[in-house]
Amino acid sequence: MIPARLGHPNLGLGLGLRTVHYQHILDHNPSVDWFEVISENYIDSGGRPRYVLEQVAERYPIVMHGVSLSIGSTDPVNFEYLNKLRDLARLTKALWVSDHVCWTGVAGRNTHDLLPIPYTEQALAHVIDRIRVVQDVLERPLVLENPSTYVTFADSTMPEAEFLTRMTEATGCGLLLDVNNVYVSCFNHDQDPFEFLRAIPHERVVQFHLAGHTNCVTHLIDTHDGRVVNPVWDLYRLAHQLTGGVSTLLEWDARIPPFPVVHAEVLKARNYMVSELSGFAADAASTASDAQSAAESEVFEELAEEPGIPQPATYATAEFE
Amino acid sequence: MTGNRQDVRQLAQIQRWLQTVITHPDGVEAGMASDAARSEIDISADRVEEVIDRSKRRTSVERLEIYANAYYARLLECLRDEYPALLHAAGDEVFDGLAFGYLQAYPSQSYTLGELSRRFAQYLEETRPTDEDEADAGAGPSWPEFLIDLVRLERCYSDVFDGPGAERMSLLDAAALKDLSPEAWMQARLVTVPCLRRLPLRFPVHEYATAVREKTDPDLPEPTPTWLAVSRINYVVRRWTLSPVQFELLAALIEGQSVGAAIERAAILAVESGESVEGLAASLRDWFAEWSSAGFFQAIELPGSREGESSIK
Repeated sequence: MIPARLGHPNLGLGLGLRTVHYQHILDHNPSVDWFEVISENYIDSGGRPRYVLEQVAERYPIVMHGVSLSIGSTDPVNFEYLNKLRDLARLTKALWVSDHVCWTGVAGRNTHDLLPIPYTEQALAHVIDRIRVVQDVLERPLVLENPSTYVTFADSTMPEAEFLTRMTEATGCGLLLDVNNVYVSCFNHDQDPFEFLRAIPHERVVQFHLAGHTNCVTHLIDTHDGRVVNPVWDLYRLAHQLTGGVSTLLEWDARIPPFPVVHAEVLKARNYMVSELSGFAADAASTASDAQSAAESEVFEELAEEPGIPQPATYATAEFE
Repeated sequence: MTGNRQDVRQLAQIQRWLQTVITHPDGVEAGMASDAARSEIDISADRVEEVIDRSKRRTSVERLEIYANAYYARLLECLRDEYPALLHAAGDEVFDGLAFGYLQAYPSQSYTLGELSRRFAQYLEETRPTDEDEADAGAGPSWPEFLIDLVRLERCYSDVFDGPGAERMSLLDAAALKDLSPEAWMQARLVTVPCLRRLPLRFPVHEYATAVREKTDPDLPEPTPTWLAVSRINYVVRRWTLSPVQFELLAALIEGQSVGAAIERAAILAVESGESVEGLAASLRDWFAEWSSAGFFQAIELPGSREGESSIK
């Protein structure tokens, strides 16, 4: 029997560690519950990124989140990469290691995109086999995220939620439920995001992601370049109710504002944890968040003048004198 | 979802097809028409719904174009971030043209974007206009060489910034050398820190890159042979301008030659350059002191010792 959330604690409200915030975090020790780091920015670093990570890991709980595992790829597993992930997880005492249900390239190439998988029996069996290999190397259950996707395949024979459910059942892996990705993908695929949330295995959800996206009218792009929109907060409220609440993390990766702005954004999640309240308190919290939503909706629903770049974009630039 | 195909496509086929389509330099439809894509899934753009579903708002091709646009946009943005001085010098259009060509010639094969531009300078060397193409053929270093030098410098900065460094090492204390006999000194080997690089350039692009970083609008420099040492102190990249003889001496030390052999190499170059050996000899003490205080050396290995033995910190 695998425990709920793989036995992991609810870490509270966390933020993605980004280079532009390094100095603020080191200088001010902000009261953030935990940090998530992009694994690929640190596994080979011998410079300041690694140094800062070690400092942060001494002060905060750390979770590692990768973008190059390519669990669905038909290329061979990269064991050198996996060994480096394992070593960094040991060094930082990372509570869990996550990546995406996707593939990033084949034929030896890496597109550095999170490419979609056709939801077929063949793909499911392939992903299950790969997860088992990865978990053996990492010596821990993997946690995998539903990506934002922009196409679906005619070959698919099952919904994404069923694919995720059967994948977790067969491997014991956990889920990183990206609530914004649910909204983006369901909009792009003409599906109901609330139905999606109800269909996934709630006891396997270890973590939530929240982020902003870009509205291009005919489709949404997962750009992580702004605030969380109200419909995503509504989904978060339901996800919180269905799971009982899990570690929640805000990603902000482009046009990144000062740290206090990003921190304030994730703290809004408290307004949507209504399942922890009851009676009058719940109603009051709900009313407050609705009022906030109404006030901010005009800002949030602006359409994009220029389409942004879908995540991930994870390069750390050099500092020199 | 159809799911009723008799001839189920293999996952590997679909992945190779999709990657070919979305990375094709001429767009999704050209990608689908390419031999590489058709060898995986032989389907034209008007029948692509047999592979990729359309949505209420976008056709299958339009949906694929989201990935195609993102592929080059994401990688170009990474290169722009890593090469701000090249971007400033070349301008958006030329920069994107060079980067676009590079990404086609050398697509990423690494899990990390840190390796994305590893062969950018090599690509520019391979594709630079020949002398016959240039109006100023024979007139010395040219515009392409200036751009290539910028790439080499900015790549060097990236490598030094995030590579192994000496911040957690105890460095060589120059005072510990004073008791060495001249013979031992000449046979000793100075172990340089892992972040120390030497970089010969045809233009003073380091000054140009610094000016761009300081958000000034520098003039393009005249070609001037330039010799740099690049290293890192407290996680910040720093560079030093060297004379040719200093550069030769430091190069020999980085290569692991003894102090005596390195000085001999430098002396040969000094003589060839018309400089006096006496002048070199008089300068050596200052150079070693300066480089020691700059943290270039971790240790000195004495004659007869093996690695890790009889070294002085």
